[in-house]
Amino acid sequence: MQKVWSFLRNERRILPAVLSVLSTVVVTALLVPLRGDFELAILVLVYMLPVGLSSALWGFVPGIAAALASFLLLNFFFIPPYGTFMVHKFQHLLVLIGFLALGTIISQLVGRMKDGLAQARARENETKRLYELNLDLSGLQNERDILNSLARHVVETFRADRAEVLLENNPVPALISWPAGPGSGTPPTAVASLQGSQRLLGEIRLWRTRRSLNPAEERLLLAFAGQGALMQERTRLTAEANRARVLEESDQMKGALLSSVSHELRTPLATIKASVTSLRDDSFDWEAEARADLLAVIEEETDNLNQLVGNLLNMSRIEAGALKLECEWNDISELVAAALRRARAASPAHRFEVGIPDDLPLVFVDDALMEQVFNNLFSNSIKYSPPGSAIRVWARQEDAGTLLVQVINQGPAVTEENLERIFEKFRRVTAADRITGTGLGLSICKGIVEAHKGRIWAENLPEGFAIQFTLPLQAGRKPASASEP
Amino acid sequence: MTAQPHILVIDDEPQILRALRTILMARQFRVSTAATGSEGLTLAAAGQPDLIILDLSLPDMDGIEVCRQLRAWTQTPVIVLSVRDSEHDKVAALDHGADDYLTKPFGIDELMARVRVALRHAAQTQTKQKAVITSGPLEIDLVAFTVKRSGEEVKLTATEFKLLAYLAANAGRVLTHRSILTNVWDPADADHVEYLRVFIRQLRKKLEDDPEEPRYILSEPGIGYRFIADD
Repeated sequence: MQKVWSFLRNERRILPAVLSVLSTVVVTALLVPLRGDFELAILVLVYMLPVGLSSALWGFVPGIAAALASFLLLNFFFIPPYGTFMVHKFQHLLVLIGFLALGTIISQLVGRMKDGLAQARARENETKRLYELNLDLSGLQNERDILNSLARHVVETFRADRAEVLLENNPVPALISWPAGPGSGTPPTAVASLQGSQRLLGEIRLWRTRRSLNPAEERLLLAFAGQGALMQERTRLTAEANRARVLEESDQMKGALLSSVSHELRTPLATIKASVTSLRDDSFDWEAEARADLLAVIEEETDNLNQLVGNLLNMSRIEAGALKLECEWNDISELVAAALRRARAASPAHRFEVGIPDDLPLVFVDDALMEQVFNNLFSNSIKYSPPGSAIRVWARQEDAGTLLVQVINQGPAVTEENLERIFEKFRRVTAADRITGTGLGLSICKGIVEAHKGRIWAENLPEGFAIQFTLPLQAGRKPASASEP
Repeated sequence: MTAQPHILVIDDEPQILRALRTILMARQFRVSTAATGSEGLTLAAAGQPDLIILDLSLPDMDGIEVCRQLRAWTQTPVIVLSVRDSEHDKVAALDHGADDYLTKPFGIDELMARVRVALRHAAQTQTKQKAVITSGPLEIDLVAFTVKRSGEEVKLTATEFKLLAYLAANAGRVLTHRSILTNVWDPADADHVEYLRVFIRQLRKKLEDDPEEPRYILSEPGIGYRFIADD
């Protein structure tokens, strides 16, 4: 009995037919005691009830089943002679045939309507599922996220136990499963390929132990696969477009670099060459002062060239994301002092003022790179501020987690719209025609400060033009306290 | 000195070799040159130079390796040459026994200062360490454990003195963070640069006229410290 019941439960098509037949039996059971009280026409009308109801509830096939059952039961129990399938009167035969015809037509009409409705619902459901998938996928940019979402939607929509999405990527194939974890090893219930516009991208695999997919579900799975493939291609195209844009930008940068560098390299080389050839010229007797002057020029230009090469190297490292920080605990005043030694030697004409409290906490930075920041800021200050003016360096603890450093010079103010642009590569806004430079110094400072998770900006202050930057004081991280050994 | 000091230059750039040979010979040094690491090692063994100038980027072997092999059998001072942006290599070479470093391009005055310090230091280790080191107004007595500034005694803690004494005994030479931490503290503390920062700050406050612009204890960012003494 239990076997039969479970069979009926599983076979959805049969259960409604059985139920509809049962309903006619119930009607018969109710009517048999009243046999003789009613006319045949009324009984026929009552039998129409289970037929119409079955068609309306379960569709065409159960309706027909109910009509046939009613036909037989009516004949057997209510048409004399009772208890046989024989019919003696011609009018009774007409009633029976009329009943069967009517029952069939009703079940057909109602059933068709019902099936149409069910199909429409199924389609609507498919469309809704597809729409939801589409909505989810279109918000994603990352390949893995897309695969993940696809697998999740497959599991939810098909009530599957598990789904896998395989992407035959170059160079490593990606396999995403939902729920995550290794599969059972059994062959999948259904497979749909992810067909891209140019090649097969991969496939969706679905495991469902209860039953296999019906044609509508298979269709929907294919639609899912199509959508997944489309999204996958879209992200690839976007990534390629991005790469192309970066390449183009780096091409432009290289162009700007070449034109800037060839000029910046040749200028000091020209000076050096001219000075050296003059000094080597035997036909001319140089006075000691002029001689010393030419030699000083050669030395200065050599230093400029060296600085330029260093800046270019740093810039290319920052650009390539290859800046490796080797951080240690550092005293910011030591870094300033080291850079200051250089700056004083480079320009004895400027006054340097330092304001760094001696109880400032240590900072966790790459000292060689941070010294470079100060070198660039000082060399900029020297270049753009008049000789004899003061260049000031301040540092103070802004709050528990931030150190603020300011380098202020008496150079000309920078217009509001250029305050940010001066940190761009090759951007020179102040007196670019008079003062030589590559426009790399500040962008390198920005690269280094940002690599340390700090922020750098420029400001026109009442006391002068200021470049300011912050460095994090390593919240939660403290230097081990120094001990007397 | 019996004869002019003999300097061996190991560098693969012919123009640098040419320039250094000319410049050093003009200053009365005897000069020999090698273009590769292995040639340099052979010449170092055969010629017994008083000082070696070693470029860190050589075609056949790592300059740091040359340094290490030299130190296996000789204490001849080594000054390494390197380009900027390779602080790591410099520190590695110094920690493997090099005495000092110079960043290319360098001025000849810088090179000569390093050479003088290295030769003097080598001579001192052979005879005896000076007991009193002076630098401007500073007077550091390594035997009596006292420091005077313009004749007045400066009170230092034991660690401060130990640190200052180590720097002063190696006056003119760069000392890496690691070597200072190992010698003044303990090899186990070799990575605790923060100890050093704090004590250097204290020393400068007690010794320098302007701690923000030190003249006696100089920082070499990324490398270490250098104490400047009177010649």
